[in-house]
Amino acid sequence: MEPPNLYPVKLYVYDLSKGLARRLSPIMLGKQLEGIWHTSIVVHKDEFYFGSGGISSCPPGGTLLGPPDSVVDVGSTEVTEELFQEYLSSLGESLFRREAYNIFENNCNTFTNEVAQFLTGRKIPSYITDLPSEILSTPFGQALRPFLDPIQIQPHGGSPVGRPNGQS
Amino acid sequence: MARAREEARDSQLVSGREPTSRIIRVSVKTPQDCQEFMLAENSSVHHFKKQISKRLHHDTDRLVLIFTGKILRDQDILSQRGIFDGTTVNLVVRTRLKGTLPGPGTLPGPTDHCMHHSEPSTSESAGMLARLGRLAQSSPELTDFLGQLAQLLTAAPESVVQFLENPVIQGLVNEKPAKARQAPESSRQNPQKPEPTLKALETLQNPARQQELLQANKQDLEALTAVPGGDNAMRPVCSDIQQFMLFTLAPLVASKGQNPASELCKEEANAHSSTDTTTTIPTASAPARPLTQKVRAGQATQARSMASNQTHSGCGPRMPDINSGHNLLSQESQQPIGKATLTSQLRPSPSALRKALHVLQQNPALLHQLASGSPLQHYLPLLPILTNPRALQALIQIEKGLQILSKEVPGLGPCLWGPGRGTREPPETRGGGQGQRAGSVQSTWAVLQLLHALANASSQSTQSSLSSFSLPEGCFQQELEHLKAMGFANHDANLQTLMAVGGDIQVAIERLLGLPEAQVPPTDAYSVPPHGEGGKGRERGRGGEGK
Repeated sequence: MEPPNLYPVKLYVYDLSKGLARRLSPIMLGKQLEGIWHTSIVVHKDEFYFGSGGISSCPPGGTLLGPPDSVVDVGSTEVTEELFQEYLSSLGESLFRREAYNIFENNCNTFTNEVAQFLTGRKIPSYITDLPSEILSTPFGQALRPFLDPIQIQPHGGSPVGRPNGQS
Repeated sequence: MARAREEARDSQLVSGREPTSRIIRVSVKTPQDCQEFMLAENSSVHHFKKQISKRLHHDTDRLVLIFTGKILRDQDILSQRGIFDGTTVNLVVRTRLKGTLPGPGTLPGPTDHCMHHSEPSTSESAGMLARLGRLAQSSPELTDFLGQLAQLLTAAPESVVQFLENPVIQGLVNEKPAKARQAPESSRQNPQKPEPTLKALETLQNPARQQELLQANKQDLEALTAVPGGDNAMRPVCSDIQQFMLFTLAPLVASKGQNPASELCKEEANAHSSTDTTTTIPTASAPARPLTQKVRAGQATQARSMASNQTHSGCGPRMPDINSGHNLLSQESQQPIGKATLTSQLRPSPSALRKALHVLQQNPALLHQLASGSPLQHYLPLLPILTNPRALQALIQIEKGLQILSKEVPGLGPCLWGPGRGTREPPETRGGGQGQRAGSVQSTWAVLQLLHALANASSQSTQSSLSSFSLPEGCFQQELEHLKAMGFANHDANLQTLMAVGGDIQVAIERLLGLPEAQVPPTDAYSVPPHGEGGKGRERGRGGEGK
């Protein structure tokens, strides 16, 4: 049997604040935050991310956010595109339904972390997944929470990932 | 705990025994949930899958286990892959099985053999034809459809080659024999059949003989008159006509592929396909007969004697019909066959096929409805399906699905084929210069109707993106135009949002703007908060603020 193909898996990291968080966070929050991170997984030449519109996909760097601020190499996977699509469809019906989006608890980075572990067994860098708790641990964050909570982030430019050729 | 484990391991090593397999706890994580399994660490992945399938009630074939990005193969051992106590494995349940199964059956073998001697495309296409024939046998209504398919394809030969060269279809060809082998009555014949035809194949590599073979259509037709009976009165008729049509198709493919060896592959493939039902074995003898004229007689007679051993008592009354039909056919084709060129062989085929379909019509047991002289328009929409390989692929999948359906729910068969006949409006004509076409269309439309019914009834997204997304789009046409006019350019996002909010355009706009819905007041500029006094008919509210 020939060795299975290995597909590279990358993490695209975007700073939603475009640098403002780095400058203003010491004043506002009392601690230094390098950015407000939005991430997506790039595999099989497609970018996948989770937002208020559910799981979406686009060509790499194809959202309105433009090119990523940094790219992290997550590893390689044997998972084929077909299998990955099935997995995403499953996720999109369970844990990452559109309504399940919450900016603190179940956001784009949660999704990316989940997918990265599925694909490679590795997690994404902790400074990204720790961000909500970092913010909420400040008095400012706590105070703003009721206002921040309902915020829905959905980078435009992608199309939803659905169940292909529905047969179940 | 780790230390205890280490000590246990050491003691086992010291004692010289194989470390006994410890029971480990492995978590299986699906997109939906996470479950724990206890099993021995040296058990195989296959065993693990069986346990999972027992608990989660899925087929083991559909389970795909992934660990650190690697897909676990059935023969792997858990501990070898690094799966120890407390690790988590990911599980994906496929919704459909893998397309191509390795075919241990007879068909792929000789087909591979063919490939040594001829271009792969034509040999696989010959196998494809056999597969078409077998499909026809398994479902009598499909013969009509395939007959029309054959007719159409004679008009557009490129699509034949395209159709046959589609790797998906070839994959299905390889898959079919795996199923065919399960038929108990054919298992006996299989080992014997390949040999004579394989030998025939070898000896016929001589190009001169190949040319002669190409002009052997006439003999094929004559051979078809020797149709014995069978259990099912319909089947021999269907299959014979089908085989005949495919015979005439094969030279088409051959002429396209510029390789006469396809004829050989086709004949031998038909020989193999005939092992499915005893009634088609005489058609195997049909190619065998012209072969005998050029090859050592012994092999073919061997084939034929095997054939005669298996024929059941005749189907008497059917034979005159077939014979008359085939005599017509042979007469018709004898004249054109006088021309020796390859290209001229295209001409006998359409007329011969036409006659074949006339025969189909004459035989009432075959057709459910007669539709003689049905116009060409009914066929034309099939053309884009046939020239588009993806559409063909989808159609094949539908066929497969329908087969499975009819197998699983036998009572459903009549329901599937019954309704929706002739209710389809004729689509627009396109270049009606295709000549006369005979034959019924109803079964084709029954298939398409069923497809539509399934597409509409299914709660999940359907087979073709066209049919699935056209419906909600149609519902929200007006809303979509509104949104576009307002500047929401992303059509997909618009549609998605509209679907999510059930067509409420106000809510959709709010969603698209990214505003939390609860906080935006309804944009009703004319709402009047009732004031106690001074309500002197001031209709305009203050909706302008507070947005």
